[in-house]
Amino acid sequence: MKSKDIFGLMINPFTRIAGLPAFGLGLLFTTLIGFFGAANGVIFDGVLDVHFPGKVTIIDSFLYLAIDLFSLVLVMFIAGLFVSRSFRFVDILGTMTLSKAPFLILALAAYFVTVPDMKDILEDPSIVLQSASFLFILILSFPIIIWNITLVYNAFKVSCDVKGTTLNINIIFGLLISEIISKALIYLLIKNSFQLT
Amino acid sequence: MLPTQCPSCRTQLKVKCLKCENCETEVNGTYDLPVLANLPEDQQQFILRFVKNSGSLKEMASELKLSYPTVRNLLNDIIQKIESYEK
Repeated sequence: MKSKDIFGLMINPFTRIAGLPAFGLGLLFTTLIGFFGAANGVIFDGVLDVHFPGKVTIIDSFLYLAIDLFSLVLVMFIAGLFVSRSFRFVDILGTMTLSKAPFLILALAAYFVTVPDMKDILEDPSIVLQSASFLFILILSFPIIIWNITLVYNAFKVSCDVKGTTLNINIIFGLLISEIISKALIYLLIKNSFQLT
Repeated sequence: MLPTQCPSCRTQLKVKCLKCENCETEVNGTYDLPVLANLPEDQQQFILRFVKNSGSLKEMASELKLSYPTVRNLLNDIIQKIESYEK
């Protein structure tokens, strides 16, 4: 396989895989992200959010991921109802789940990261620059999030057969709304109902 | 592959003459090309495969090693083109 083909598959695997197979593979990645996130102290607290609190429980890790995924799939499914003539829910579910895959890199890379104490950061923010590993993962998180957005873009494009301005508007507002919903759900469900950390 | 557009101005070509190879009879006139003949070759091939697979997009997807929505999108493109020809 040529490197151009590999790159093409990395940013748009959905021309080859969608529906239930994509959902299965996406669930595998999400499970690994949940485990390694908890083990290495990374939390994905929002559709496009990643934080390094240092200590994360396995329940929190999976609950936050489930909320992220639920918000993204819900918003993109509703968007699909407005803009697409024919699409299947299972394609949205599968492709959106698989679009989370790049976050596994951050969950794994966090193993090598020493996170400065939050109190120390608040007292002296320049302390962040002294931790090379933390700086590295901060820089690494940008291309990973861009990769994730590209995958969400292509997931919606392939699943709903939408192109051009309609696609761009749906992705921008879809991601914004799903981010807001995920943040609200995390706040409501976790902070209030379950009284988890 | 049958040419469907004028190489000079890109206008849709018409059929002017048909010939019987058996008795050399020629039928002259101005006939429209069939809608399917206006499609590019790859889309004509797609339609042939689609018919051979009894219209099953799932079987098409596994044969072409593409995902189901990708195959459905290819079909949607053809439908759009046919609709634009019919207008």
